[in-house]
Amino acid sequence: MLMLTAIIGISTIIVFTSFSEAQLEQKTFVTHSGQIIKTSGDVLDPLYTASTVEFDPMRYLREFNYGRVSQLSDGTILREFTIIAEDNKIQEISPGVFYNVWTFNGTVPGPTIRVTEGDVVRINFINNGSKSHTIHFHGIHQAEMDGVFEPVGPSGGQFTYEFIAGPVGVHPYHCHVMPLEEHIVHGLYGVFIVDPKEARPQADEMVMVLNGFDTDFDTENNFYAANTIPFYYQHHPIQISTGELIRIYVVNMVEFDPINNFHLHGNLYQYYPTGTSLVPSTFTDMITLSQTERGIMEFQYTYPGKYLFHAHKVEFSEKGWVGLFLVQETKESSGE
Amino acid sequence: MEEIKKSRIRLIASGLIPFAFLIVMMLYLFGPSSGLLEFGVPLPEITIEKVEFLEYEIHVTVRNTGPIPVVIAMADVNDRIQPAAIEPDKFLERFESVLVRIPFSWNTSEPYTIGITLDDGVRFEKFTEAATPAIKSDYELAGFFAIIGTYVGIIPVMIGLLWLPFIKRIGKNKYNFFLALTVGLLFFLGIDALLEGFEISKENISAAFNGELLIITVTLLSFLGLYYSAEKLTSRTSLTASSKPFAIGLMIAIGIGLHNLGEGLAIGAAIGLGQVALSTFLIVGFALHNTTEGIAIASPIAKTKSPIFKIIILGLIAGAPTILGTWIGGFFYSPYTAIIFLSMGAGAIFQVMLIILKWLYQSEQKLVQTSIVSGVGVGMLIMYITSILV
Repeated sequence: MLMLTAIIGISTIIVFTSFSEAQLEQKTFVTHSGQIIKTSGDVLDPLYTASTVEFDPMRYLREFNYGRVSQLSDGTILREFTIIAEDNKIQEISPGVFYNVWTFNGTVPGPTIRVTEGDVVRINFINNGSKSHTIHFHGIHQAEMDGVFEPVGPSGGQFTYEFIAGPVGVHPYHCHVMPLEEHIVHGLYGVFIVDPKEARPQADEMVMVLNGFDTDFDTENNFYAANTIPFYYQHHPIQISTGELIRIYVVNMVEFDPINNFHLHGNLYQYYPTGTSLVPSTFTDMITLSQTERGIMEFQYTYPGKYLFHAHKVEFSEKGWVGLFLVQETKESSGE
Repeated sequence: MEEIKKSRIRLIASGLIPFAFLIVMMLYLFGPSSGLLEFGVPLPEITIEKVEFLEYEIHVTVRNTGPIPVVIAMADVNDRIQPAAIEPDKFLERFESVLVRIPFSWNTSEPYTIGITLDDGVRFEKFTEAATPAIKSDYELAGFFAIIGTYVGIIPVMIGLLWLPFIKRIGKNKYNFFLALTVGLLFFLGIDALLEGFEISKENISAAFNGELLIITVTLLSFLGLYYSAEKLTSRTSLTASSKPFAIGLMIAIGIGLHNLGEGLAIGAAIGLGQVALSTFLIVGFALHNTTEGIAIASPIAKTKSPIFKIIILGLIAGAPTILGTWIGGFFYSPYTAIIFLSMGAGAIFQVMLIILKWLYQSEQKLVQTSIVSGVGVGMLIMYITSILV
C-alpha cells in the first residue's frame, strides 16, 4: 500500500513537472512581415525552418555525372551509365509531408547526365519497380532508342539505350509509360546535358529542375520547387561570388499548370533556349517555360547581397518555388 | 431463503453472461483476429470546425474526425502556404481538436479559404464568405446582444400576449380556433428547429459524430422527459380547472423559451462568425415572427384568471432565453451546443403541441371540426409567411 502511494506520488510529480516545463517552453517564429509569434505548441513552417529532408537539393544543384569513360577503337568516347528505376519510396518532399516518389537512382530528379556532343552514350537501365518503366531522352536518336514502344518490365527488367549524343544543349529525360502523367508527376525525370565539343567558358554551373507535386491527387499541384524541396534555397541560400559567371541549366517539369517562369532579382541574364545555340536569344530577367521547355541562363552579379529568384506566377512561389542567391564579394588576389 | 438467494444469483448471472460474451468477442476482434476485418485503407479525415479572424492572426479549430490518428503538416490561406503555430501539438488522436494560429493580415469582408494539409499530403479546406473581426467578450457587446435579444425575443412575445383580453372575450368555437392556431404555430416552430439543426449538423459537424441522429435522439429524449414529468406534475397537484391551463401555458413558455435559446444562439453565432450583416430588416422579421409565440402562450391561459405578473413571467420565460442564446452563440459558439439546444426546444414544442391537442380532444371529443382544422392551417401559414421576412 505504502509502495503504491509512493509510486503514484512520484509519477504524479514527474508528470506534473514535465507538463509544467512543456507549458513554460515557448517557441517563437518570425513571419514574412516580421511579426514574432510565441507558441507553446508546434511550429509549422516550411518557409523558414531549415529542416533536413532525405533529398539534398544543395548537392543535386552542382552534381554532374559524366559516366564510366572508355574509348572505342575508332577513338570515339563511350560514356556508360547505370540507371535503376524504383516506385515504392515514401519521401518527405516538404517538412512533414510524405509522398510516394518514383525515382531514377533513388532521387527526384534523377541523376544529371552530362556528355559531350558526338560521344557514344550507353545507359544500362534496370527496372526494379512494380510497374513497367522506360527512359525517353529528348534529343536525336534511333526510333528503337526512344523509350516509348519498348516498356521495360517490373522487378528487374533491363534495357540498354545507346545513341550518339546530340544535339548540343540541355534536355530532359523521363519515363514514357502510360499513363504518362502519372509516371512523370511521381518523379521519373532528370536532366541530360550535351556539351559542345569546344567547352563553354568556365563558370559556376548549376542545374535547376522546376517541378511540382500533387500530393492529394486532384490534378493540381500542392507544392512547387526548384529541385523538389519547396522553399529549400530560401532557407539554404545558394552561395555565389561577385563577378563570377553563373550558368544555370533550367528545365521545367511542372505538370498540370500550362506554364512556369523564372524571374531573377537585381540582375538580368543571357538566355539560350534549349541551349542549342551558342548565341543567346535574349537578355532578360524573366522567361516563360511550358512543359519540358528548357534552356541555359548566364549572368554575373556586380553587387554583393541577397537576391531572390522565383516564379513570377506568385502562386507557385508561395507554394515553394522560390530561392535566394547569397552573393559574396570575391576576395581579390588573396594570399598572393 | 436459500432458494431465493440461488435464484437471485441465477438472475444476475443470466443478465451478465451476454455481457461476458460481448467482451470476449471484442477482445478477439481487437486482438488475434484484428487483421481479419480490415478491408481497404482507413483514410484520415479532419474537420475544420471554426475559423476566427483576430488582429493579424487567423485562428482555426481543427478536429480529427477520421478513423485513425493524424499529423498536421501545413497550413495555407487561399491556397498559399503560410507559417503557422499549432497548439497543443500537431499530433491529433481520434476526436482530438487543436488550434492552428496563422499570422496573417487579412482584410475585412474579403472571402478566405483556409487549408490544412496532413502529413500524407491531403488538404482539407474551409471557406469563409467574409472575414469579420472575431468578437471579444466585452461588456459593450454583451449589452448589444442583450438589446437584440430583447427586440427579437422579449418584446414580440409580450406584444403577442396583449391579445389575451381579446381571446378572453370570444366564444368557444373561436377560442378553439385560437388554441388550434397555437398548435399550428408550434408545429411549424418544431419543424423549423429540426431543420435548422440538420443544417448546422451538415455544415459544421463531421459525419463521424452522427449529428442527425444526435438531433433525433435529443428531440425524443426532451419530448419524453417533459411529457413524463408534466404527467407526473399534473396528476400530483389535484387538478383544478384553473391550474391545468396555466400549467400548459407554462409548458408552452418553457418550450418556446428553449426554442428561442436556439434562435438566439443562431443569431449570436451568425454575428460572431461574420456570416451575416445583421440588418434592421432581419430584426424586424424575427420580431414579427416571434409575436406569434405570444399568441401561443396566451391562448390556453385565456379562459382562466391569471394575475398579470404571472403572465409577464410566462412572457419572460419564453422570451428572455433569446438573450442568453445570443451570448452563448456570440462568445462561445459550438455547433454541438447549438444543435443540442435546438433539438431540446423541438422536443419541448412537440410535447406542448400534443398536450394542447389532448386538451382540445377532451373538451370537444373530436378534433375534425372547422375551427380546429382551420386554426392549425392558419397557424402554419402565418408562421410560413412571417418566416420569409427572416
